[in-house]
Amino acid sequence: MLSIKENKSKKLEAALEAQLTKELDAARTGEQEINEDELFVLAQYDEAAGEKTGYSNYSYWRSTVKVFFKNKVAVFLLFVLAGLLLFTFIQPYLPGQYPANQINNNPQTGKQLSNLSPSLTTVLVTVPEGTTLSAAPVKDSEGWYAVHNVLDTLQARTKFTVIEYGEAWCKVEYKGKTGYVKNNFQTKLKLPDDPTATPYESRSNFKLEMYMEPQDYTNNGTALYVEEQLLTPAQDGTAVTNAEAELRVLPSEHAFWFGTNNIGQDLWARVWSGTRTSLIIGFIVALVEAVIGITVGVLWGYVRSLDRILTEIYNVVDNIPQTIILILISYILRPGFGTLVFAMSLTCWLGMARFIRNQIVIIRDRDYNLASRCLGTGTARIIMKNLLPYLVSVIMLRLALSIPSAIGNEVFITYIGLGLPVDMPSLGNLINEGRKLVTSETLRYQLIFPAIVLSVVTISFYIIGNAFADAADPKNHMYKS
Amino acid sequence: MLKYSLKRLSSSFLTLLIIISVVFVLLRQMPIEGYFDNFEKADEAMIQAKLNQLGLNDPIPVQLWNFLKGLVHGDLGTSARYSVGAPISGIIAKKAPLSIKMGVLSMALSLVLGIPLGAAMAKGKGRFWDKFGTVYIVFINAVPAAVYYIFIQLYGTSFLGIPMLFDEANPVTWILPVFSMSLGNTAYYAMWLRRYMVDELNKDYVRLARAKGVSGKSIMMKHVLRNAFVPMIQYIPTSLLYTVCGSIYIESLYSIPGMGGLLVDVIGRQDNPMVQAIVMIYSCIGIVGLLLGDLLMGLIDPRISFVKKEGAR
Repeated sequence: MLSIKENKSKKLEAALEAQLTKELDAARTGEQEINEDELFVLAQYDEAAGEKTGYSNYSYWRSTVKVFFKNKVAVFLLFVLAGLLLFTFIQPYLPGQYPANQINNNPQTGKQLSNLSPSLTTVLVTVPEGTTLSAAPVKDSEGWYAVHNVLDTLQARTKFTVIEYGEAWCKVEYKGKTGYVKNNFQTKLKLPDDPTATPYESRSNFKLEMYMEPQDYTNNGTALYVEEQLLTPAQDGTAVTNAEAELRVLPSEHAFWFGTNNIGQDLWARVWSGTRTSLIIGFIVALVEAVIGITVGVLWGYVRSLDRILTEIYNVVDNIPQTIILILISYILRPGFGTLVFAMSLTCWLGMARFIRNQIVIIRDRDYNLASRCLGTGTARIIMKNLLPYLVSVIMLRLALSIPSAIGNEVFITYIGLGLPVDMPSLGNLINEGRKLVTSETLRYQLIFPAIVLSVVTISFYIIGNAFADAADPKNHMYKS
Repeated sequence: MLKYSLKRLSSSFLTLLIIISVVFVLLRQMPIEGYFDNFEKADEAMIQAKLNQLGLNDPIPVQLWNFLKGLVHGDLGTSARYSVGAPISGIIAKKAPLSIKMGVLSMALSLVLGIPLGAAMAKGKGRFWDKFGTVYIVFINAVPAAVYYIFIQLYGTSFLGIPMLFDEANPVTWILPVFSMSLGNTAYYAMWLRRYMVDELNKDYVRLARAKGVSGKSIMMKHVLRNAFVPMIQYIPTSLLYTVCGSIYIESLYSIPGMGGLLVDVIGRQDNPMVQAIVMIYSCIGIVGLLLGDLLMGLIDPRISFVKKEGAR
């Protein structure tokens, strides 16, 4: 047993010895059995290769944008929002817009055009060439005529003679004039057993219009409007159309696309004006949040002697619900734009300051900042160049989210009756006005239009903000270059 | 723990005192009309007499001291316009139980809805419930509550065929207000529970349990859900505030005779003492909520120190 082991080690020893002597011999004689590419070669200095190692293709912002654009929903909403913002701010300068606060009256009657339904056109009916209408120039609108084809109005139970019977229209004679009256369940003409055996005397149970032709060219009994050049006026207060003419409900080609409210203001203009107001509030609050939040946050995080005091103050102030501060300030001060912005600005920056402070405490003593300080970099420069760029993405996220929340706060404050006056439209007071009319099915559009615009704006900001924050996180850049 | 609790309690108390003083002093700056039910008709002598009687001509620190003394006895002053001369504490005592009942119901409902939703979202990441929940959460977070509350009232009442206004005796009319109020918290719970559960799912012990052959359902119920539940406690204060805010909207929308509706009402009537009292009560609720959340967290997690958490407002 032992001998076998000894034997084996001896054999190994002998083999090793033989190999060593062989290698030694080879070295002495200069014979080499190793081939060329296994040996070290002295490298030449290559300038291009030297450059290459120091260069990385990675760019933070480019990667951020790239990742962001992979989120299709966010990109779509970004375009929607951009278009909406642009439109909101140029809308008043577009041709044919009604001012948001203008109360539109019917020029003929002087009454407010209240609660007109949304419509894309002012044209009610088109009449062929050669139609006779009774026409009068409109007082306050140059170039427009108010027209209708009512010949006479018959009171209820007035007697007249039917001279030609029809299912829908009857030709009648009354006080020497011949015209047409409607024959339907609303007019309820008093007819004999055989109504076709004309003429006979008849009457209606209700008030009745007698038209010049078997057509009703009125807007539920009020006049319609037509442009002057389409009419050839006659002497007796009538006019004949000289071409195919469009009869309009307003002396204007510009319709109320979103309808009007109860005092005849154009809802389309008010919605965009309101969006403008709400966005401006949002932007101002976001700006205040950025400026105060970053300043206080940086001081709080960087200046050690301030830390304790500011933390104590924060603990007290943060305990108060923000809604309560909002209500209180709006209640004490006179309602208005300034009050609203002030009330929101008072508390909006707290979260931001707290966040920046936490981040700065974490990164202010990292080695690169220590090195930078040792090299004599000023505090301001360290903050601007070393610390804040770290936080840009998160700051942007908070700002993007503070806009919808400011808009929401405005709605809330308006809702409890402390918001902007109605002559300064905002999404909040439009919704609040619309809410009061919600029980009537036909007036519901006054709530729905501002609500849709508001939802689009806030959801867009929210999703874009979140998508951007995801994209700005370097962790998400890794697998994607 | 005891030291922490005492410190936290005293800090809350101090905050409350500061808030009461600030609210009181600020409301003294309001025009005096808010103390009269017929200011236009009263002459100068009557006004002065009333002001003296209410103690409003005293220096503000004296007024504040008197108010605080009253507060200790549960006296919040008397209403000036809403219900002339009636003690505010009495008015609120009549209104508060209904609000509390609704708030508790809605918070319970949001737990019942939010926890399963969050769990379903975490379980099937990227599948139907996750997508549905994400859309729901984005909608609730982004769109101001007033908008969807109004539409729920509008279409909900006509769809279910129930009256638009609230009637305490009719249980059907409780459905929509409570449901609406719970929506915000449901989204909030679902969002955070999903986040914590996803965090928990990536931990090593879950992998170990799976390697041991524990069924997926059992891992979810016994480990992930339970562990993810603990940090949820810190959202109690925020959800309490959501409920209070929601009640301001909901109660005035459905004409519920509670405190939220009362606030809107007295703001409309410029009843200074009432506004003051309700604002103070709401701040009190906010502070108590935060305190409760912090203490519960401290109780559960011994590592907690005297710092506040992100996410709590």
